[in-house]
Amino acid sequence: MLGLLFILFAGMAVGCAISMVAQRNPLYSAISLIGVFISLACLYVTLAAPFIAAVQVIVYAGAIMVLVVFVIMLLNVEEEERGPMRLRSLVPIAVGLATVLFAETVFIIRFVATSPATPVANISDIGQTASIGAGLFTTYLLPFEVTSILLLMAVVGAITLARRGGLIAAKVAVVPGHASYARETLNPAAYPDLTEVNADNSREAAALLGVADGTPPRDHE
Amino acid sequence: MEDLRHLILLMIGILVAFTVVMTLVAYTVLAERRVLGFIQGRLGPNRVGPGGALQPLADLLKFIFKEDIVPDKSTRFVYFLAPMIATTAALMTIVVYPFGPDIHLPFTLPFANTNTIPMVIAKFDVALLYVLGVTSVGVYGIALAGWSSNNKYSLMGGLRSAAQMISYELALGLGLIGVILQSGTLNLQGIVEQQSGHLGITGWNMFWVQPLGFFVYLTAAIAETNRVPFDLPEAETELVAGFHTEYSAMKFALFFLAEYVNMFTVSMLATTLFLGGWNGPFVHQLPWLGPFYFLGKVVMFLFFYIWLRGTLPRFRFDQLMTFGWQFLVPLAIINIVVTATIQWSGLFDYVAKFLKTGIGWGG
Repeated sequence: MLGLLFILFAGMAVGCAISMVAQRNPLYSAISLIGVFISLACLYVTLAAPFIAAVQVIVYAGAIMVLVVFVIMLLNVEEEERGPMRLRSLVPIAVGLATVLFAETVFIIRFVATSPATPVANISDIGQTASIGAGLFTTYLLPFEVTSILLLMAVVGAITLARRGGLIAAKVAVVPGHASYARETLNPAAYPDLTEVNADNSREAAALLGVADGTPPRDHE
Repeated sequence: MEDLRHLILLMIGILVAFTVVMTLVAYTVLAERRVLGFIQGRLGPNRVGPGGALQPLADLLKFIFKEDIVPDKSTRFVYFLAPMIATTAALMTIVVYPFGPDIHLPFTLPFANTNTIPMVIAKFDVALLYVLGVTSVGVYGIALAGWSSNNKYSLMGGLRSAAQMISYELALGLGLIGVILQSGTLNLQGIVEQQSGHLGITGWNMFWVQPLGFFVYLTAAIAETNRVPFDLPEAETELVAGFHTEYSAMKFALFFLAEYVNMFTVSMLATTLFLGGWNGPFVHQLPWLGPFYFLGKVVMFLFFYIWLRGTLPRFRFDQLMTFGWQFLVPLAIINIVVTATIQWSGLFDYVAKFLKTGIGWGG
């Protein structure tokens, strides 16, 4: 029974993974990747690790991939054109690495098949929510907290990057005469005496040059 | 042989739960139309059968016989896949809810080798996480439907839905952590059993320990099911019908079904976690009352949903985002901190001694 389920879900995982690489449409690739995650979660359940399975579905299939699909939908990414292959020189290296990977797999399978089965102490606890929680908050407390700080840094960094020049697409604000405007909004031919400054938005540019701000104030800045 | 017997029993259990839930869902649709009619001072459908009782059947027949239209430039495969994902994800969570305590039926002894019938299909240690995971996959149904229809209204509906569900999932999950902290288990049957108190009422999580968590969960859950006042993905005044604009016949019926099944499962989770599940007066003497209490509470929730729909206007999209991120999420975090502090200080055990276990007031 378990063997049958393993073949089913492992086959699904491998099939979805191949489809993910082979698809030309980015959305199909994303859907295939979701399929991989869900089949992996099913495999975790058959390995008596329900907590990992649930977290796999919630975090990867339910949150990260929703964002990926969201971005693909938002940008309306077109199907990838099959053009001439770039980086042709990397092909031999790829073949070599694939051979190493394959050899590794064969070695591991042989090793697992020939090694004697060693029972693990208190095997019934492993994979249960309580033991994972206890481990995270006692033995592995430091790595756990360091990871959370790392994630916090990523969030802060993303927000900082998103706020820079996010109002109008003006990396450079242009100041003709006494007011500053975004360069995109002006016809350069009409203003021969343009002054360019490096600023995130036109208000900042105006402050740098000491002139009035030409754009109406935005209340959501 | 034992495996086969187990499998057959499982199938029977799923069939019974499925039938009960689907029947109630069908009548929720009718109830919604009748109650909305009552709120708005009109009658609602009352012609098919006595008092409109056969209306769901007539609607189903209509959906089956409608012409099935597929837009010319839609992305075929995804267009067909989307309603399947939505419905499957909605229905999959039914198996983990405890409908009642174990019931003893003597006549099942020859077939099932036991006379104890558990009122939950899958006893799952991480049932709560399973529910959250399956619910979070359901968003693909709506998002992909919006994308594959090749229609700008559909796309806007799908995008809104994806953004809304990502935002409110966070508040939903954080709102539930209080209950988990306080009960110390993710097993739904265990959480229900902890809520038995005097007459099966005083122990409900909603009253004593998690009123804030209940509010956060309820609000986020309404947003997750795309219902008024959070029904931006299908706002008919702006988006025709939102993500399902291009869907007709049975494929539309599947989305319709998914929405109502989602309402139902959300109500079941709220009942299980906050309203004591199948607990009620005399349920320990007469276990048969359990399922009735449980479904009764769920029906109360559904009525609340319909009541909201008849009462509240729709949010604006920026209001929706502000409300979710700047009000609900901080509130949920406050709830977690307060619950953890109380739990750590042992104050809760002191209260529980009087209210939850039945010691104290001569119980």
